[in-house]
Amino acid sequence: MDPATLVTILAAIGYSWMRMVIALIASILFSIIVGIAAAVSKTLEKIIIPILDILQSIPILGFFPIALYAFIALHPLIGVEIAAIFLIFTSQVWNISFGVYEAVKVIPTETLEVTNFLRLSIIDKIRHLYIPASFPKIAANLPSSWANGLYFLVACEIITLGEAEYRLFGIGSLTVQFIASRMVFESALAIALVLLFVILMNLLIFIPMIRLSMRYRFETYATVIPHAWFERLVKPLTLPVRIIAHRPRFSEHWRISTRLRNLFTVMEKHKRLIEIAIAFTIIPVLSMIVSFENLIGFSRLIVNGFVRLGFIEPLTMIGYSLGRVLTATLIILAWTIPASILLYENKTLEKILLPIFQAIASFPATLLIPFIVDLTIGSGLPRELGALIIILLGTQWYMLFSLRGALSVIPREEEELFRILQISGFKKLAYLYLPRMTPSMITGCIITVGGGWNTLVIAERTILDHTIWEVENPGIGKMMSIATSIGDIELLLATTVWMALFIVILNRLLWRRLYEIAIRRIV
Amino acid sequence: MTMEKPAETLISLRNISFSYKMRKGDRLQVFDNISLDVLYAEFIGIAGPSGCGKSTLLRIMSGLLKPDSGEVYFRGRPLNGPDPRISMVFQNPTLLPWYTVIKNVMLGLINEKGLSEKEKEERARTFLDMMGLIGFENAYPAELSGGMRQRVAIARALVSHPDLLLMDEPFSNLDQLTAITLRRELESLWLNQVLPISSIVLVSHDIEELVEISDKVIVLTARPSRVAGTVKIDLKRPRSRRSQEFYEYVDKIYTLLS
Repeated sequence: MDPATLVTILAAIGYSWMRMVIALIASILFSIIVGIAAAVSKTLEKIIIPILDILQSIPILGFFPIALYAFIALHPLIGVEIAAIFLIFTSQVWNISFGVYEAVKVIPTETLEVTNFLRLSIIDKIRHLYIPASFPKIAANLPSSWANGLYFLVACEIITLGEAEYRLFGIGSLTVQFIASRMVFESALAIALVLLFVILMNLLIFIPMIRLSMRYRFETYATVIPHAWFERLVKPLTLPVRIIAHRPRFSEHWRISTRLRNLFTVMEKHKRLIEIAIAFTIIPVLSMIVSFENLIGFSRLIVNGFVRLGFIEPLTMIGYSLGRVLTATLIILAWTIPASILLYENKTLEKILLPIFQAIASFPATLLIPFIVDLTIGSGLPRELGALIIILLGTQWYMLFSLRGALSVIPREEEELFRILQISGFKKLAYLYLPRMTPSMITGCIITVGGGWNTLVIAERTILDHTIWEVENPGIGKMMSIATSIGDIELLLATTVWMALFIVILNRLLWRRLYEIAIRRIV
Repeated sequence: MTMEKPAETLISLRNISFSYKMRKGDRLQVFDNISLDVLYAEFIGIAGPSGCGKSTLLRIMSGLLKPDSGEVYFRGRPLNGPDPRISMVFQNPTLLPWYTVIKNVMLGLINEKGLSEKEKEERARTFLDMMGLIGFENAYPAELSGGMRQRVAIARALVSHPDLLLMDEPFSNLDQLTAITLRRELESLWLNQVLPISSIVLVSHDIEELVEISDKVIVLTARPSRVAGTVKIDLKRPRSRRSQEFYEYVDKIYTLLS
């Protein structure tokens, strides 16, 4: 093997990792500001949460060409790089933001009263209470955010926008190049190295952080997660993370000058006024970014796109896409329900399989797309099947882990009751496991379907070095991909808005209701 | 007979009315025109049927809640919001799990601009010592028992040298043995004037506890609550729970309650 290849691969991983780390740090900072603001202020909550909800539902790749235009206008060279980081950011940020929001929301009332009592200023509250209290949720969301970012890495390192193709050096673009040039060994090596680095990232940074964050939880019975064999193996290597995080005093050195502090005290006095001011500046500031003329141009683009699309075509596309996503979700349910029960009942099997599943789950499935494309072209299998596999690869793991988590909180008394009554097999499934799994199953469906929509842009149509591979039937993702590659912004915007609208409606009308029913019946 | 000099009032609640907003715009009237005084150097117990607003009363006294109408005077001045000279201990120890014991206590001094970090640490240590927690300064709350956590919370309440200590059922979540020990210790610290505080207001549903420790027990009625009566406990300390007079006081309070 040529050592230069290895160096190139490692360098590419370094570049991609750098983008992802920058995006992740930005995600955390954004989440802390926005999540805390929404949780603390009722006025801001009413604005921020619906906006986050919509942003979360907009397909990530629908953002991209628009962001690309904006950032390239800023600076032609760095712009592409910033746009790529921005795309990764949009794939990592929302779950962390909602996590911070929830964490601050559930701070016990008595603790809030104590901080009021001690007359902590808002800045002291953020520093001593809100940020530490969000730490467990932030840490818990890091692995999935990282996996999400990786999933879209390929898509953001190579982008065709009309005539122009932008290619950023990184592991995503490099692997695609290897595969396209039929360099089997190099491709395999690149994929293996990515897998290795993902596992190291989890073992050396994310898992130790989740462990450390246990102290930051309010439940005093804080469950102790036993160290798995592979964790013990790498424990010495996690020392840096432990040292950094083991000093809760790091925040003490975060001194703020008195003048700034006074400013915050004044701001706190006029809290209400400032909230309203913020609320009213969001809209003008947004329109200033786009500028008024652009805004009109922008809405004209959307309207034109809508007129061109009409009603029947988008609905047909959405119908087909919904069919794909729901089929994938059913397949996922069909295997994860028995699998999660099997893992729950057989601890030895779980010990072996769970780390393997976790490793596969964090692996960017998009790197495998070229293989799937080759497979369907070579064997003549329907492309719909290929699309289904791509959707499955990107979305199936969340359900498994969430169902497994639901099973592990079954009270011991219930288990013992079923043992005493000697109920097992299908009866136990129907009377104990399924009811206990339902709330997680519904949240799992929401996340899976949401993730499914996001993967559609890749799953329904992929361009690999001049080979265009697309599903036989219509699809909204296919349309978005076509619009992107011919550089038709009107069409892209209109399809993105159609898709986002449909997802928001689906969330409001179907999933949220199901969830509320499930919660009321079971919990 | 000695002339009783009218003692000065530390905190005074005048004609307090308070209601909670419920869903659908209903209001739950908790207090309707209630008045009471806490004098300097007085240990007040507050008893009342459950849900009568004992905890709400404490929160009004602390400035955490604003009454709908009526005035709260603290040291002769109207009270608007939390005051550094009033401290509170809650039913649950409510410590910040991410800080060590000493850091949690030092939070009680966070607004003392005149003190250096070192002085704050010194003072926190003094109170940890008083509460029998020396050696645990660098432990985290999760590593302590419930009783020890409540001790930390009391140390945090005392560290700022308040005049008034409000306690909202501080012993009710502890096991009985721990509760008795902690109450006895607190009582003896207070009687020996080791504590920097002048007066204590203790809310409890345990009548015997109140009779054992208070100078005066204020009994509240059910919602909207009024003062059903005030029972002055004229028993020598330490009080024995087995004596005849002790039971007479307990009975008297139960009669007022029912």
